[in-house]
Amino acid sequence: MNCILCGKCLEVCPLLRATNREELSPRAKADLATLLKNGELPLSGEDVAGLTGLCLGCRRCRDKCPQGVDVPALVADLRAAHPDFRSWLWKTWLKRARELWPSSSLAAKLIPEKFQPERLAPFLKALALLEGGPHIVPFVNIRELPDHKGEAMLLFSGCTARYVQGHWRKTAEKLLSAMNIELRKDKFECCGIGLESAGFGADAGKMREKNVQTWRKAGKPKIVTLCVSCHKGLTGYSGCFKNPEEALQWTEALTPISELLFDGRYVLSENTPARVGYHRPCHAPKNDTDHTLLTAVLGERLRSHDGRECCGFGGIMQLGAPELCARVNARCRQSLEGAGVVLTGCSACAAQLTATAPEGIRVGHWLEILKTP
Amino acid sequence: MENLTPEQETFLADLFPSDALLLRPEQTAVFSTDASRLRAAPLAVVRPKNREQVAELLHWAHSERIPIYPRARGTGTVGNAVPAKPGIVISMLAMNRILDIDDRDFVAVVEPGVVTGDLQRTVSERNMFYPPDPASSGFSTVGGNVSTCAGGLRAVKYGVTRDYVLGLEAILPGGRALRSGGRAHKDVVGLDLTRLFVGSAGKLGVITELTLKLLPKPETTASVLAGFPDIRRAMDGAAAIFRAGMLPAALEFMDKATLTALDIAGTSPLPKEAQAALLVRVDGSEAVVNAETDRLQAALQKARPVHLMTGRDENEEALWDVRRGISPASFHLKPDKLGEDIAVPRGKVAEAVEGVHAIAAKYNLTIMCFGHLGDGNIHVNTMYNASWPEEADNAAMAKGEIFRLALSLGGSISGEHGTGLTKAAYVDLQLDADQQALMADIKRIFDPHGIMNPGKGW
Repeated sequence: MNCILCGKCLEVCPLLRATNREELSPRAKADLATLLKNGELPLSGEDVAGLTGLCLGCRRCRDKCPQGVDVPALVADLRAAHPDFRSWLWKTWLKRARELWPSSSLAAKLIPEKFQPERLAPFLKALALLEGGPHIVPFVNIRELPDHKGEAMLLFSGCTARYVQGHWRKTAEKLLSAMNIELRKDKFECCGIGLESAGFGADAGKMREKNVQTWRKAGKPKIVTLCVSCHKGLTGYSGCFKNPEEALQWTEALTPISELLFDGRYVLSENTPARVGYHRPCHAPKNDTDHTLLTAVLGERLRSHDGRECCGFGGIMQLGAPELCARVNARCRQSLEGAGVVLTGCSACAAQLTATAPEGIRVGHWLEILKTP
Repeated sequence: MENLTPEQETFLADLFPSDALLLRPEQTAVFSTDASRLRAAPLAVVRPKNREQVAELLHWAHSERIPIYPRARGTGTVGNAVPAKPGIVISMLAMNRILDIDDRDFVAVVEPGVVTGDLQRTVSERNMFYPPDPASSGFSTVGGNVSTCAGGLRAVKYGVTRDYVLGLEAILPGGRALRSGGRAHKDVVGLDLTRLFVGSAGKLGVITELTLKLLPKPETTASVLAGFPDIRRAMDGAAAIFRAGMLPAALEFMDKATLTALDIAGTSPLPKEAQAALLVRVDGSEAVVNAETDRLQAALQKARPVHLMTGRDENEEALWDVRRGISPASFHLKPDKLGEDIAVPRGKVAEAVEGVHAIAAKYNLTIMCFGHLGDGNIHVNTMYNASWPEEADNAAMAKGEIFRLALSLGGSISGEHGTGLTKAAYVDLQLDADQQALMADIKRIFDPHGIMNPGKGW
């Protein structure tokens, strides 16, 4: 279906809210895509960096649209269609990485010798994390965890836990092990969600295929996810399956780690902050299990804002339009004021909010609050 | 005029630095259209941050005779925001501060770019209430609502936007500032220039500040959805509510074609026997709402509904989701829509709906009628396929007949949307030459060169 210009998407777009620039609204992009498709506007006038700055990829407008128009996908198509896009991105990637990291640093491994799409997502998060503050000191003691003895599962740790925040992965592995889960080695690729929004749909498609293969080879066990954005990416794998039954098996296999932790018993230690903020990621599902778990564990100490604000990470916008990302981020930080610790369940939000936290405010993935066995 | 001269561009660039001036076609494209889907390219788009910039722009445009199109979020459906003649669009979105909320005076002072839903949320946190609620309240602005005198579901009890505008500041062509009204809830001195601006659709000047009346927030609400076997019985149900001495906070109806669309979309909770429906909300204190809900059900029972559902809290919102689902569901019937919003006296709604159904039968079209029964404002959606020439012609002819029907019943061709571009040709049906000449004279006093939003209907 085509955009009917009704404007419902204007309610949810964090980029419009932060900038008041209607030309950056989802409706404007849907309109622009139609005009370009019909040859009513030349694309040549649009520079590549401008295209990267069009969309944060939060997908809120897609969920709101009564016509089912997928504006982030339209923007990704515009980027992909630009003949110079890939080379611009590669050049900018190298330039920024070399400016930022000495070849001996840990992050330097995110500078591949040739264009490697699977490194893009962790690179962008590491870029955001440059000024990262100190980690959260754990303050939740685990008294008891549910027993899943005999169950085999795969851990989908995601790019960030693999390349940048290894301690999230270790925490998850310890928790799953304490639940007596038989954990298979994580051989997954990137989920592909960030790449797809950036305009690399074909590369994302290859990763999806490989991930489904990995799951099949392991005997189709549950896949435990740490990051709601990865989870959202994995739920969008339609077209990768042999038949509808297998697609359903895949959907049912996807399990947020928070869901496994529901039946545990937790005790707050003395160093628990009086106010803990929760940032609801744009990619969180309606039934946000991370939030449910944290509410159960932290009770009234947990303060959740209305969920309207985006952290401003923006994926590829970090390279092309960091100043717009910063404006979106500023609104988000404002909404979290008063919390000494801010938790979230998305690796990109955690990276962006850590990098931009005011002094004295600690930000992290909620896994960081758990004292692992 | 097809392009700005280099001098004109320089003037604009000096007054609106950086991204506050847009000239490139890919940037200005969205400002050439609105929810009407009509389109005309502007010469430039500017984004003022304060009244001084607006005043300087209007001083310049007045002397250069360049058309000016005030725009908020472009959610109007009649093309009022489309720059029909080459000119400059003023996007008011950067003027979006809530300047004051006063719980002693019960007023809010805002800039025009504030989103209505944001204002409602903010005053609600302070236990106050801004009632006007057009369907677009979550994404349209107060300035846009005032310019169009937006209505909404609560109009039956609380009135429309004009009933909440106590005062305003507007910049007139030439750069003069007009301040009218104020914080006093009553004021009878002089002609009511404030109300003249409400609904003037950007034809008189650019609104830069609004003083709005607030009410105490009702403690709670409840709603009832009732299905009836035909439209007459639904109207009997509505009449029974008023006869019982009740004034609901919202009273919506849906006809058979509307319920069919909802049924196809899978969003109707009503059984198939229901060929018409009423959706009613009451509000007030907990005790009042409990009592009113009982009275409401009793009144509706007199019209023998085939189904009755009551909702509180989340269940209440689910009932209103049915209403909100109408517009998207309509496209399950046909791909294109002519959406009109005639208004008739409350007692003539049944006659109007039946008249529209007769027009639908005559032209072999599907026409949905739904909307604000309580205030006689009926949304008439003619569904058709624009790529079938005969059906498109029939839809256009039906539109004229629907307007004539509304006028024959003592009503109006538009209760909420205005006339803009899509209904400009039909204004003569409702306003005679003398009325229009008087309006033109009034406009000339504010805007002698006719630069404000030219090319639109009254």
